[in-house]
Amino acid sequence: MTERTVSPSPEGDLLGRDLPDGLLAVRAAEGDEDSFAILVRRHGSSLLTLARCMLGSPQDAEEAVQDAFVSAWRRLPEYRHSAEFRTWMYRITVNRCLTMRRRRPPPLSLDVVVEPAAGDAWSQPARSAEQDAATAALSRALAELDVGQRICWILREVEGLPYKEIAHVTRTSEPTVRGRLFRARRSLQEAMGPWR
Amino acid sequence: MALGDPHARPSGPHRAHGLHSGPAAADVPPFAGDEVLPCGRLLSRVWEQARDAAPADDPRTASCPHCREAVEGLATVNAATRALRTEDTRGLHALADRVMSIVGAEVRPGRLLPLADPDRDLRIAENAAAKVLRQAADTVHGARAATCRLVPEGEGTDVRVIMTLAAALDRPLRDRVHEVRRAVLHSAVQDLGLAVSAVDIAVVEVLEQEPLLRPGFPTGGGG
Repeated sequence: MTERTVSPSPEGDLLGRDLPDGLLAVRAAEGDEDSFAILVRRHGSSLLTLARCMLGSPQDAEEAVQDAFVSAWRRLPEYRHSAEFRTWMYRITVNRCLTMRRRRPPPLSLDVVVEPAAGDAWSQPARSAEQDAATAALSRALAELDVGQRICWILREVEGLPYKEIAHVTRTSEPTVRGRLFRARRSLQEAMGPWR
Repeated sequence: MALGDPHARPSGPHRAHGLHSGPAAADVPPFAGDEVLPCGRLLSRVWEQARDAAPADDPRTASCPHCREAVEGLATVNAATRALRTEDTRGLHALADRVMSIVGAEVRPGRLLPLADPDRDLRIAENAAAKVLRQAADTVHGARAATCRLVPEGEGTDVRVIMTLAAALDRPLRDRVHEVRRAVLHSAVQDLGLAVSAVDIAVVEVLEQEPLLRPGFPTGGGG
């Protein structure tokens, strides 16, 4: 016997870090928390970015993503892998954000617009105040978009998802996604006109 | 990457021409509110192409002043978008901890299985045993366990292990599966004390090239 490293130590989850999502999701569906923890760490930050763009506030975004993961954990045993885990998670998170928005419509004041991530301030040259203001303006314009357009735009421009996956997340077709993206770009371009 | 973009296909006859005419605007229906540029292309497609393809892959836009102007019209939006794209991981660890503590409180232990010790009536939860057996399978180079079920057999303490596996194909599958079965059986008997009647293994997925796994050194593949 070689490489006997079986142990319920914290290394257990490290061992799975190279595993593909599908395998981790299958294990998690059978109640393996360590596999689920890897999925949470792997996808948490992009889902947080998505939720932050959707909701405007980092606190609400954390709540939405937390709820989305807990909901995913509960639904995993019935998850049939018809979609990639990532796509499935995006869908759950988007739906969670929509529910939260319905519950408390966002007041559009300056302090609730999407805050650009500050954590990178140490590693990047300081952004100009003008750039920050432009980002805040973009966030406000984003908040005024039709919600379907906003979701498509965030998934494409911020998350970098391909059209096909966006269509899966939003349960629409690729032409619909591309049409919404065009209209979103058009509206945002107009809204950002003064910043040119 | 130019998924779903009709302009991403190389269209021979138009290559290397500055201004372009032809089917660009006519062969695809425009979106509501779309605009035909003076060069004949749809604004929506020019924007798509500008965002989906590297500039070098789109010589048509580069050489056409109308397309270029259309693309530049989005520059302000694109610049402001970059800040939104920056991932903020500050809250992530705390978030992951909160999620996992909720998850931990909702354990799904599965059914209780008898250990090979009928007198003392010792039992182990299926999911706890499955986790140990998956880890045993994972110690075999080029193999990763997927599902693992444990099913009691007969009236006694016998248990059948049913496992699915992802395996690499860099050496004969039969040898690898044999090695996994041995590792699982050893762990089931020695570590857990189960009376195993059989270990059924089905390979359900081909594993991509195994990252450098050294004994005792977990990979850092997930970042």
